[in-house]
Amino acid sequence: MKLVNVRKGQFVYYQNKLHKVYSVKAFFKQSIHLIRLENFKQQLSTAKEIDFYKPKHLDSFVYNQKRYTLNKDTKAKVGDYILVINPKPDSMDHHHLNAIEIVSSVERNGVISNLSNGIRHNEYWVMVPGLEDGATIIDLQDPNAEMAEELESQLAETDLPETYTARIGDVYQKNGSDPILQAMVVSIQGQNVYLGGNLKVEMDILTNNEKWTYMLNMMD
Amino acid sequence: MHTLLLVKNGGVLLHITKVFWYAVTICIGIVLLGTLAPDYLNEFTASATNFISNQFGWFYTLVIVALISFCIYMMFSRFGNIKLGKDDDEPDFSLPAWFAMLFSAGMGIGLMFFTTAETISHAFINSPNAEPGSEQAILESLQYTSLHWGFHGWGLYAVVALIFAYFKFRVGAPGLISATLEPLFGKKMMRGTVGQVVDTLAIFATVVGVASTLGFGSAQINSGLTFLFNAPNAFWFQLIILVVATLIFIASAWSGIGNGIKYLSSINLWLALILLLALFIVGPTMYITNMFVTTIGNYISNFIQMSFDLKPVNEAQRDWVNDWTIFYWSWWISWAPFVGMFIARVSKGRTIRQFIIGVLIAPTLVTFIFFAVFGGAALNLEQHGIAKLSSMATETVTFGMYEHYPIGMILSFLTIVVIAIFFITSADSATFVLGMFSTGGQLNPSNVVKIVWGLILSAIAAIVMYSGGLDGFQNMLIIAALPFSIILILMVLSFYKTIKRNE
Repeated sequence: MKLVNVRKGQFVYYQNKLHKVYSVKAFFKQSIHLIRLENFKQQLSTAKEIDFYKPKHLDSFVYNQKRYTLNKDTKAKVGDYILVINPKPDSMDHHHLNAIEIVSSVERNGVISNLSNGIRHNEYWVMVPGLEDGATIIDLQDPNAEMAEELESQLAETDLPETYTARIGDVYQKNGSDPILQAMVVSIQGQNVYLGGNLKVEMDILTNNEKWTYMLNMMD
Repeated sequence: MHTLLLVKNGGVLLHITKVFWYAVTICIGIVLLGTLAPDYLNEFTASATNFISNQFGWFYTLVIVALISFCIYMMFSRFGNIKLGKDDDEPDFSLPAWFAMLFSAGMGIGLMFFTTAETISHAFINSPNAEPGSEQAILESLQYTSLHWGFHGWGLYAVVALIFAYFKFRVGAPGLISATLEPLFGKKMMRGTVGQVVDTLAIFATVVGVASTLGFGSAQINSGLTFLFNAPNAFWFQLIILVVATLIFIASAWSGIGNGIKYLSSINLWLALILLLALFIVGPTMYITNMFVTTIGNYISNFIQMSFDLKPVNEAQRDWVNDWTIFYWSWWISWAPFVGMFIARVSKGRTIRQFIIGVLIAPTLVTFIFFAVFGGAALNLEQHGIAKLSSMATETVTFGMYEHYPIGMILSFLTIVVIAIFFITSADSATFVLGMFSTGGQLNPSNVVKIVWGLILSAIAAIVMYSGGLDGFQNMLIIAALPFSIILILMVLSFYKTIKRNE
C-alpha cells in the first residue's frame, strides 16, 4: 500500500495476518500502527509491508480470541458486536471506519453503542459469533503459506499467550459471596487447587474472572 | 381529522414526540408574525426585553453567580471524586483529546464577531465606568469582555453539562432536560405535559440562541464581502447568504456526509488558530501580550465586584449593563442545553473535579487569548488614532481593523471562510441536538426532523434580522432565556437531591 491510502480503521494484512490500522503517524519511520485482531497485539509497520483488505458480507475472522462472521442481514440486538462499515457520524458521534463497538440499546433508526455513539442501521454490520454457513475465513492472507505457519508455530513456542494460573500464596475472593469468602492457595495438584479452609476448586473455575477474583499473593 | 392522522402517522414514522410539534408551532408562529407584522414583532420584543432587563436583571445576575458558586462547591466537595459514569468506566477520550474538544467548544462565530467589536465598544463608544476613550476605559474594555466571555459562561455550561452527564452516564436517564427533573417532580409529571413543556422551553431557548448566532454570522459574512468585493450590504444579500448556507447544511444532513462535516470542523479550528497566530505576529505583538497579562490581573482582582455589579445608581451605566452583561447572560443561558450536551457527551468517565476544572479552564483560556489578540489589535489602532473603528457598524469592525495591518486582505478573506464554516458546522450540530431533544432523546434522529430544524433555524434568523436587525436577536435572546433560567435552577436542585441520595 502507499502511505497516502492508509486510513485509521482499515483492515490490512501484515505478515499474512489480519490487522486493523489504529493510527497513522506520517512522520514516523514505522508510520503505521496496527492491532492484530485475533489477540490485540500491537504491531508497528510501514505502508509497504501491509495489504489492504475490505471486509465483505459473510467474512469470518477471529477477534480477541473469539470467531465472528460478518452478516449484513442480521438485525443488531443488545450486546452484539458490530463493525462500522460505512461511518456517517453525527456531530456528537465519534465512531470511525471499522470501529468495533458493542450495542447497548436499539432505536428505530439505529443503535447506541457502548461508547455512546448513535450508529444508524446502514452504518454497520453485525458480527455474529461463530462460523456461519458459507462464510469465508479471512484471518490469513494466504492460508496455504506453510512457511508462515511454521514461523508462527516457532514463534508461538516463545510467545505463548499468558495464561493465568494460580500460584501458592495467591489469595482469591469468591464473587458474590455473602459473607465475604477469601482464601489462600495452599496446594496445587494438577487441575485441583486446595485453598485454606478445606476448599477444593478446579483451576479453570478459580481463574475464571467471573467466579473468583484474584486479590494478592502473600509471598510477593 | 386528516391532519391529525398525518400528525399521528408522522409521529410514529419519524419517532418524534409531542414536544416536536409544540416547539415547531411556536417557532412557526414567530416566523409568521415576523413576516406579517415585522414592526409589531420588533416593538413587542423590544419592550418585553426592556421590561425583563430592568425587572429581572438582578435575577439573571444572581442565577449566573449561583451557578458558578455551585460549580466551585462541587469541585471541592466530597462529590468531587464521583465519576461521570459507572465506577469502572474509563474516559472515552485521552486527556489531550478531551482538552482539544473543550477548546473547540469555546470557539465559534461569536469569537469572530465580538472579539473586536465588543472591545472597541467598551473602550471608545460606551464604557461601563470611565469616560470613553480614556486610559481607564481602554484598560477596562478587555477586563469586561473577559467577564462576559470567561468563567461565568463556562461555569454555567459546566453545571448544565455536569447534570446531563451525571444523569445520562451514571443514572442512565435519556438525554432530555425533563429527565433531569424527574427526581424533583416525579416520573408521572415529567413524562406528561409538564415535562413536555420543559423540553419545549429548552428547545425554544436553543433555537433562539443558535438562530441569533447564525444571524450574527451572516451579517458579518455580508459585511466582509462588502469590504473585500464591494458586495451590497443589505437584508436581501444576507438572506441569500442564509439560504445558501442552509442549502449546504441541509444537503449534508440529507446525504449524511457526517464525516465531511467532521473534517470541515477540524480544519476550521486550525484555520481559526492560524488566523489568531497571524494577527498576533503582524499585529502589535507586545501590546497584545502586555494587555493579555494585565487583563488577567484586572479580571481576577475585580472578579467579585464585576460579577454582582448592576449599577443601580446611574441610569446610563445601568443601560450599559442591560445592553451587554444581561444580554450575554441570557445568550449563554440559551446556549446552555446545546453546549452542555456536547461537553457531557465527551466527558464520560471523568471525575466531577476533573470535569469542572477542564470545562472552566480550557475554553476560558482560548477565549481570553482570542480577545487579547483581536481586541488588542483593534484597541491599538484606535488608541493611536490610526483608525476610527468605533464609528463602524458592529459586524464591520474586524474587517476595518485588518485593513491597517499587513496581509489584511488575506486575513479578511480567511475570516469570511472561517465564519462560513463555523456557520455550517454549528447549524449542523444544532439541528442534531434539536432533533435529539424532539425525539425523546434518541441519538439517531431521522433526517426529516433534522432538516425541519435546519429550516426553522434559518427562517427565525432571517425573520429577526428583517424585523429588528442585530438588536432584534439581542431582544429575542433575553426573552427566551428567562423561562429557561428557572428550569436551570430546578435542574440544579434536582441534581443535588439525587447526588446526595445516591452517593
